Amino acid sequence: MNRWLDRLITLVLLALLGWGGTTLVHWLVIGADWSVVTTNLPLYALGSYPPDQRWRPLVWISALILLILFTLLGPRHGVLRRALPVVWIGMAPVGLWLLAGGLGLLPVATRDWGGLSLTLLLTAGSGLLALPLGVLLALGRRSDLPVLRMSSTAYIELMRAVPLIAVLFFGQLLIPLFLPPGLEINRVLRAVLAFALFAAAYIAEDVRGGLQAIPPTQREAAAVLGLSPVQTLQLVVLPQAMRIALPALTNQAVGLLQNTSLMAILGLVELLGISRSLLANPAFIGRYLEVYIWLAAVYWLACTAMALLARHLEIQLDPVRSNR
Amino acid sequence: MTVAIRATDLVKSYTPGLRALDGVSMQVNSGEVLVVMGPSGSGKSTLIRTFNGLETLDGGQLDVLGERLDANHAEHRVRAIRRRVGMVFQQFNLFPHLTILDNITLAPIKVQNRPKMEAEQRAIDLLDQMGIVEQAPKYPAQLSGGQQQRVAIARALAQDPEVMLFDEPTSALDPERVKEVLDAMRQLACGGMTMVVVTHELGFAREVADRVMFMDQGQVVETSDPETFFSNAKETRSRRFLRQMV
Repeated sequence: MNRWLDRLITLVLLALLGWGGTTLVHWLVIGADWSVVTTNLPLYALGSYPPDQRWRPLVWISALILLILFTLLGPRHGVLRRALPVVWIGMAPVGLWLLAGGLGLLPVATRDWGGLSLTLLLTAGSGLLALPLGVLLALGRRSDLPVLRMSSTAYIELMRAVPLIAVLFFGQLLIPLFLPPGLEINRVLRAVLAFALFAAAYIAEDVRGGLQAIPPTQREAAAVLGLSPVQTLQLVVLPQAMRIALPALTNQAVGLLQNTSLMAILGLVELLGISRSLLANPAFIGRYLEVYIWLAAVYWLACTAMALLARHLEIQLDPVRSNR
Repeated sequence: MTVAIRATDLVKSYTPGLRALDGVSMQVNSGEVLVVMGPSGSGKSTLIRTFNGLETLDGGQLDVLGERLDANHAEHRVRAIRRRVGMVFQQFNLFPHLTILDNITLAPIKVQNRPKMEAEQRAIDLLDQMGIVEQAPKYPAQLSGGQQQRVAIARALAQDPEVMLFDEPTSALDPERVKEVLDAMRQLACGGMTMVVVTHELGFAREVADRVMFMDQGQVVETSDPETFFSNAKETRSRRFLRQMV
């Protein structure tokens, strides 16, 4: 009896999937007009970057793709493998230099930055700023000093209580107020700062979870060996805590990448911003579905790459390969 | 005969009104093996944890290798002692993210600033002495409990301590793994190391100890040579404890 019900459910599901699948494929191949995507690929990748300087963001994106492929598929040992962490951290400042110019490159104003290169730079920049800040906040929240502990806690709770979009608007308006007169920082940098300040609160809670998972006996063992409190933190507690926090931190990183799309509301032409400006173009009127499906595919690809990299890192950091 | 550790009237309480250490006075002579026995909750672990500052004192004073600890000692005194006193825990407490070799060389390199090559050579020698030199590149989780505890002993020895403290070193081990750890400790005792051992291993106490100290309810009940203690203990409380053990 049950077996017949199981078969019926399976058949109905298969029929639904088949119907949905063929409709989708039919639309993707015949119904859709992909010219809005194909003719604008340079815009999606680079925004309105000056045409004669386009090699710079292209070099950066290509280097990133090569680095991802090497990390995932390259040789498991050797000098190149050991240099990887430094290369990865170096990608953000190198990207900033390639896009902004200076030091021998022609300066390019931030209003000309855009597309995928801007999305990636926003993610990398805010992530790199937010991670150390988040670790410091987590340590502050567990500190014995009452003022440090309470201010860290207050900061974290406040940031988590405010929606990201509000933080971004505040960042655009408030950061200039805190700076000395005469010093002005541009929109992209303000966005990255606001973004990092927001993400740090969430990262702090993930790191705190990792810290709490380290048994106090580890600190004791380090103490009786004569390690100072700073050495204990640096050599014994944090390496273990960060490994435990890694899956949660990956979540934050993926969230960070997707949340950069909110910058479109602030007028930055990253992936979503470019798409919105294209849809406003009379030549591509009504091509919403094509543009958003394409956008979803690009985000999906970027997030999948991040998830694979994080999985790879988890395995690398797990000495006995216990949870493979 | 020089005194390595002298405790005078130590008082420690975790909860008001309940004293984990209730006026403990005792001493450990250089080169001797002192075994501390007693029922659980008698304060024996608390006592040896005060010797390297893992527990603070509420009263009394403690002289460890010439450094004075009391209810308000400065933190740097504790660190000076920790470099000269090794400790082995019940649960091994190895660092799971480091290899066996790195576990042992961490403190020599980072605390004593020894050259890496020299520290590693010393670590290999110690592992060889413990009979587990082939485990050097592995991680703690890949070793048995007995092997991990021997690594913990090697880690404590790597700083060339003058005194070794053992806090129930075999209590977390499978019965068939106890012997390999006790053998390593016996070897250490033969080498003339000053040792304070909290343990329930009667055989080890009888054979290796120079003196046995029996504690109950935060107080020292009696201190005797092992022969007297096991065949003809002075106090009724000691005799009652020994009867329950065998």
